[in-house]
Amino acid sequence: MIQITLFRNDIKQILRDPVMAMLLVAPLLLISVFKILEVFLIPFVALKTGFDVMPYAPCIFSFILLMNSGMLGIVTGFMMLDERDGNIAQLLEITPMGRSGYLINRLSFASILSVLYCVVSFAVFGLVNLPFYSKMLLCFLSAIYTAIIGLLIFSGADDKVKGLTYAKGLNALVLFAFTDLFALSWLTFLSWFFPPYWITMMIKSPQSFFVNSLAFIIHVVWLGVLIFRYGRRES
Amino acid sequence: MRLQHAILADMRFQIKHGFYLVYVIITIMYLIILSFLPENILSVALPLVVFSDPSVLGLFFIGGIILLEKGQGVLTVLVVTPLLSIEYILSKVISLAIVSVAAALAITWFSYFPSVNWVLLIVSTILTSGIFTLLGIMINAGCNTVNQYMLKTIPYMLLFILPCFALIGFPYSWLFTIIPSVAALKLMMGVYHGILWYEAAALAVYLVIINYILLRVAVRVFENKIVYQD
Repeated sequence: MIQITLFRNDIKQILRDPVMAMLLVAPLLLISVFKILEVFLIPFVALKTGFDVMPYAPCIFSFILLMNSGMLGIVTGFMMLDERDGNIAQLLEITPMGRSGYLINRLSFASILSVLYCVVSFAVFGLVNLPFYSKMLLCFLSAIYTAIIGLLIFSGADDKVKGLTYAKGLNALVLFAFTDLFALSWLTFLSWFFPPYWITMMIKSPQSFFVNSLAFIIHVVWLGVLIFRYGRRES
Repeated sequence: MRLQHAILADMRFQIKHGFYLVYVIITIMYLIILSFLPENILSVALPLVVFSDPSVLGLFFIGGIILLEKGQGVLTVLVVTPLLSIEYILSKVISLAIVSVAAALAITWFSYFPSVNWVLLIVSTILTSGIFTLLGIMINAGCNTVNQYMLKTIPYMLLFILPCFALIGFPYSWLFTIIPSVAALKLMMGVYHGILWYEAAALAVYLVIINYILLRVAVRVFENKIVYQD
C-alpha cells in the first residue's frame, strides 16, 4: 500500500517537474530519431552504396532497446544521486518505506517505463520478427537492465562527477551487443558476462532455450550482485 | 602561477574521478570498432569519432563538475580567494582539453591512419573542446541537478550537431561554416583528408575568436548566474 501511494506521489512529482517529465519521455525522442533513420537512411545508404543493412537488423534493434533502457537507468541513477546529495534519500529511508523500499520504488518506476518503451519499440520498428514470448522476455530483461544501470551509477558513484564518469563508461557496455560482428574470440568470451551481448543473441536466436536461459541468468545475477553490494555498502 | 596551480588541481581531481581511466576504456572500445572498418569508411569515421567524443567531452563533464563544486561550497570560497573567475574557468577548459587531446591522439595513433596532420589535430581538438566546455558552463546556469543540465544540453546539441550534416554537401552548404561546430568539424576533417593551409588558418582563427567570445560570456554568466545567482 505504501509503495502504491509513493508510486502515485512520484508520478505527481514528475508531472509537476517539467524537467523530469521531459527526461522520462526522452526515449520517445530517441525512438522517433531511429524510426526516421530506418525510413530514410537505410534506403539512402542502400541506394548510394549498395550496402544492405538488413543482415545487421538484430544488432540495430538490440542497440535501440539498450539505448532506451540505459538512458532511463542513467536518469534514475542521477535522480537518486541528487536525492542522496540533498539528503532526501536519508529522509525517505527513515519513513515506513525503508531503505529497500526506497530502492524498489525508484528502480521499479524506471523499469516499468523501460517495459513501456520496449513495447513501443516493438510496435514501431519492423526490423525484426520475434515470437510473443521472446518479446515478453526482452521487455522483462530491459526492465532489469534499466535497474542494473541505475544501481551501477547510484551504488558505484560517490558524487555527481563520478556518476558522469560511470555513465560515460557504461556507454561502452553497448559494444558487447555487437561483439559477434568483430569475430574476436576473446572479446566474444568476455561479452558472455555482460547483459548487452545476450539481448542481441536473444533477438538473433529467439527459439534457443539455452540463449534465453543464459540471458535471464546473466541479468538476474548482475542485479542480485548489485543489490547485495548496495546493501553491504549502505550498512 | 595561480592558473597553473588551478590546472594541476583540476587534473588531480579528474584523475581521482576516473576521467583518464574511463577514456582508456572508451579509446579501446573505439579502436576495436575502427579496426574492423575498411580504409574508405575509416577516413570518414575517424574524424567523426574524434569530433563527437573526445572533443565534446567537456560539455558532458563540466555540468557535473560545477554542480558538485557548488554543492561543496567551493564556488562560495572562490569569491574570497585571489583566483579570478576567468582563471577558474580557463583552468577547467584547459584541464578538460588535455583529456580531449590525449584521447584524440590515442585514438588516431592506434588507428594507424596513413596521413595525419598531428599539429592540426591538437589545435582543432583544443579549439573544439574549448567551445563545448564554455558552452557547458553557460548551460549550467540555473541548473540544480545533473538531469536538469542534461536536458538543457539537448537543444544546444541539436543546434550544434544537426548543421554538421551540411558537410555532406548541397547548394550553399558552405554557409553553415559560420556555425562553430561545422567549422570545427571541417578543420577536423582536414586533419585526416588534407586541407589548404589558408583554409585551415582561417578556420582556426575563426574558432579562436569564437572561443574568446564564449569565454567572455561564460565568465559573465558564471559570476552572475552561478556564483552570485543574481
